[in-house]
Amino acid sequence: MSGLFSKETRDEWAAKATMWMAARSSRNTTFVDRLCRRLLNRVTTRPPETDFMRDPLIDNDQGFDPDELDRYQRGES
Amino acid sequence: MPAPVPFDPEAIVSAEYKERPVPEGVTTKRTICATCDIACNVVTEVRKGRVTRVRSSDNPIFRDNICMKGIIAPKAYAHPNRILHPLKRVGERGSGEWEQVSWDEAMTDIGARLNTIIDQYGPEAWAVSTSQWNTATDHGLGRRIMNHVGNPNWISGVALCAGNTAAINKLTYGWFPIGDFNNTKCIVLIGHNPRRHSWTPIYNYIRSAQARGAKLIVMDPRRSSNAERADIWLPLKVGSDVAMLFGWLKVIIDEELYDKEFVSKWTLGFSDLRQRVNDYPLERVAKLTGCDPEMIAKAARIYATQGPSIIPWTPITDMQRNSTSGIRLQSILRAICGYIDVPGGETLQGFNPDIINETEIEMHHVLSDEQKAKQLGSDAHPAFTYRAQTKFNEATKRVYGQEYANLVMGCYMATPSATFRAMAGKGPYPVKAFFFLGNNPLMSYANMPLILEAMQNQDLIVAHEQFMTPSAQMADYVLPGDSWLERPWLHDLFGWMSAVRLSEKSMEPPGECLSTFEFWKRLATSIGRPELVPWDDLESFYDYRVAKTGMTFNQLAESTDIYFAKPEFRQYEKKGFATPSGKVELKSSVLEDLGFDPLPYFREDPELDDQYPLLMFTGVREDGFFQTAFRHVPEMRARHLEPEIYLSPKQAGEMGLKEGDWVSVQNQLGEIKATLAIKDAMPDGLVRVPHGWWKPEMEQGKACLSGAHDYADSQLCRDDDDFLDREQGIPHLKGIPCRVVKADAPATASQTASVGSKKRVLEPAE
Repeated sequence: MSGLFSKETRDEWAAKATMWMAARSSRNTTFVDRLCRRLLNRVTTRPPETDFMRDPLIDNDQGFDPDELDRYQRGES
Repeated sequence: MPAPVPFDPEAIVSAEYKERPVPEGVTTKRTICATCDIACNVVTEVRKGRVTRVRSSDNPIFRDNICMKGIIAPKAYAHPNRILHPLKRVGERGSGEWEQVSWDEAMTDIGARLNTIIDQYGPEAWAVSTSQWNTATDHGLGRRIMNHVGNPNWISGVALCAGNTAAINKLTYGWFPIGDFNNTKCIVLIGHNPRRHSWTPIYNYIRSAQARGAKLIVMDPRRSSNAERADIWLPLKVGSDVAMLFGWLKVIIDEELYDKEFVSKWTLGFSDLRQRVNDYPLERVAKLTGCDPEMIAKAARIYATQGPSIIPWTPITDMQRNSTSGIRLQSILRAICGYIDVPGGETLQGFNPDIINETEIEMHHVLSDEQKAKQLGSDAHPAFTYRAQTKFNEATKRVYGQEYANLVMGCYMATPSATFRAMAGKGPYPVKAFFFLGNNPLMSYANMPLILEAMQNQDLIVAHEQFMTPSAQMADYVLPGDSWLERPWLHDLFGWMSAVRLSEKSMEPPGECLSTFEFWKRLATSIGRPELVPWDDLESFYDYRVAKTGMTFNQLAESTDIYFAKPEFRQYEKKGFATPSGKVELKSSVLEDLGFDPLPYFREDPELDDQYPLLMFTGVREDGFFQTAFRHVPEMRARHLEPEIYLSPKQAGEMGLKEGDWVSVQNQLGEIKATLAIKDAMPDGLVRVPHGWWKPEMEQGKACLSGAHDYADSQLCRDDDDFLDREQGIPHLKGIPCRVVKADAPATASQTASVGSKKRVLEPAE
C-alpha cells in the first residue's frame, strides 16, 4: 500500500485525518467524538518524565528540608 | 535578555492578593527570582533561617510565572562547590591553585594593583564585563566608579542581547519600546521562542493573547514550539531576517497599509525608505528567504491590518551581521503601521519620576569627551558606543528630562571584540586589568581563543562569582558573590519601563559571600575614592533611590510588588520623539553623521567554502540552564546530560550519522564536540548548536577549563569582518559556516547520553 502513494500524499492524508479527529474531539458529544478525543489525547500526551509542561519537579514541589540542605552544602549528602 | 514583564495597570490595581497558608515555622518573603534574566515575581518560604522553597507569587497577575530553575534554586545555591570565601591565585595563571584570603586582604591588593595599572597605562587600561541582571545589585555603581576614574571600557553580553537592541531602537525613535502584550491583537516572533521554562512570563503572555484571539506570526528556520502554535510560520533561511522584513515593508507600502497620517506628520525619510524597499520585490525576497511569497504577503497584511501588533524584542536579530538593519526595520515597521505608543502596540515609557534611575547613578557626564573618544571599538563600530549615543543627549533631555539614558545597559558600551583585541595587545592602547562580575566572558562572547589570549596578557584579573567558571579559573582573585535569595533587590527593569519591582531579602548569604554593591563599595575605598559609593549598605542605597515615593525601600516592598506610574499613550504629541529631529527617523541622521548608510540594507552571506558546507546557529538557551550557568545542578543536568546539536533526518542520513552519535562541529576558528539529535523540525543544511556548555565536574585550570575547550560554542563564533555587523561590531551567530563529522565519545561522556527515539525526532526544535 505504502508503495502506491508518495510520502507527501500520505502526510497530507494523515494531516486531514488528524484535523477531522481534532474537530470531532472538540465537539465531544457522540461516541465517535469521545473516541477521537481519547485517541488524540493518547498520541499527543507525553510521559511526565519528558513533559516540561507537567514536570514532576513543579507538579510535586514541596520544597526542601532545611537540615538536608545544610548537609548538602557541607558535602555530606 | 532582561525582563520586559509587561503588565496591565488595571489588573494590578484590581488584583486580589491572597497569601497562601504556610505551615507552622515557615515565613515567606516576596521576592524576584534572578536565576535567569526574566525576573519572575515569586515567593520564598524560609525555615530555620534558609530558603527551603520557591513558589509562584500569591499575586494573581504573576501567578503562573515560575520555572524549574526557580524551584531548584534553594538547592542550586546550597551546592557544596559554591565559592564561599575570597580566593587568591598562588600558582601560575590558570593553574587552578588558590589560597583563601580575607576580603580586606583581597581588596587592598586589588585596589593597589589597579591604581598602579591606571598610573602606568591610563584609566582606559581597565576593562569590566558584567550586566545588571547577573549581578542585580550593581545598579550602575561599576560604571559610576569607572566614569569617575576616566574609564569608558565597559562591555557586556547585552552587546549582543537586548542592550544593543535598545541602542539601535533609539536611532529610530529615541527610546526602546515595550510591547503591550495584554491588549495586542498580533504578535510577531522573529526566531525567538519563549517556552514554559525559558522566558516564562513572555510564554504566558503569548499563550494568553492567543487564547483571547490574537494572531501569532513566527519567523524561524526551525519548527519551534511557537512555530507549531502560530497562525503563520515563515520558515526563513537562517540570517535572512532583514530580507524578510524588507518584503513585509514592500507589501505594506505598495498596498498602502501603513498609517498615512502618522507617517506624514511624525516621520522623516519615507520616500527614501520607499526607494530602498523597492529593491526588494517579493520574488527577490522569496529567493533570499526561501519562503513562499504569498505567505510573506499574507503575514505582512495581518501585521499591518489586524493590529495593534507587536514585535517583541528578539535576541535573534541582535546576533547577525545585519543586526543594525534588522533592528531598524522592526522599529520602522512599528512606526509606519502606527503602533508606537498606543494601547496594544509598543509603548515608550520613559523613566519613573519617583525613582533615581541607574543611568543617574552611573554619572556618564563626569567622563570627559577625551576619555569617551577612547572607548574601544567606537572608531569602526560606533552604534552603541558614546560616539553615536551621545548624539541623542539633547533630544533625550528634551523628552525624558536627562541627557543620558542607558537603556538595558546597552547604550554606552565598548565593543567586546575590540576590547579583547586590546587586552591581547592588538589594540590602539594596552588594557591590562580585567574585572568580570556574574559573567563568564570566555564563553559569552565570540572568539574564545582570542579571549583566552587576552586574559593571559593581563596584569590583574578579578572575578566576582558564585562558582568556579572556566573564566574564573583564569583570574587572580575570585571573590564570592551572593545570590538573589540572600539580598534585597530594587529592580528597575533595566530602564526599559517606568516601573520598579521590589524583592525582599530571604536569608543571610553563606560564608563570606557579598553583593556586587559591597564589591564596588570596597573597591571604591581600596582605590582611594570612598566618596563614590557613600551609602553604608544596600538598604540605605535603596532608601536613597526611592526617597521621592515618601517611603523607605522596606516600606515600599511591603506595600506593593510593583511601583509604577500609570502609562500615558502618544506622549510624543507633547514633546516629539527623542531623536535629533524630534521625529521618527526612518532615515537615521545619526547613522548618516557617522558615515554609515542611513537606511537599512541587506548583506548577503559570503560564498560557502566547500570545506564548511553547513550553516550553524548558536545562542540557544536550554530550559534547565541559564546561559553558561546551572550545569552543576544535578536535577537540571539530568535533563541535558550532554551538549546536543540538531540536524534534519535527511542531513544526518546523508552524512551517515544516527541519533546519539558523538560528533565534532568544526570551522575555521575551532571545533566542539556534542551528541547528535535528529529533528524533523530542522531544515536541511542547518545545525543547531547549544550555547554555553562546560562541565563543572571536569578538571579545572587552563588546560581543560572544565570542558570549555571541548564544548564551548564560543570557539566557533567568528568575529572577522564578514561576520560582524558593520555599525555595532557584534558577531554573526545565525548562520556560521561549519561542518559536522563523526567523533569518538570523550572519556568524560555520560554513558546514558543518547535518549533517541522515533517520537523525539518529531518534536519541535527548541
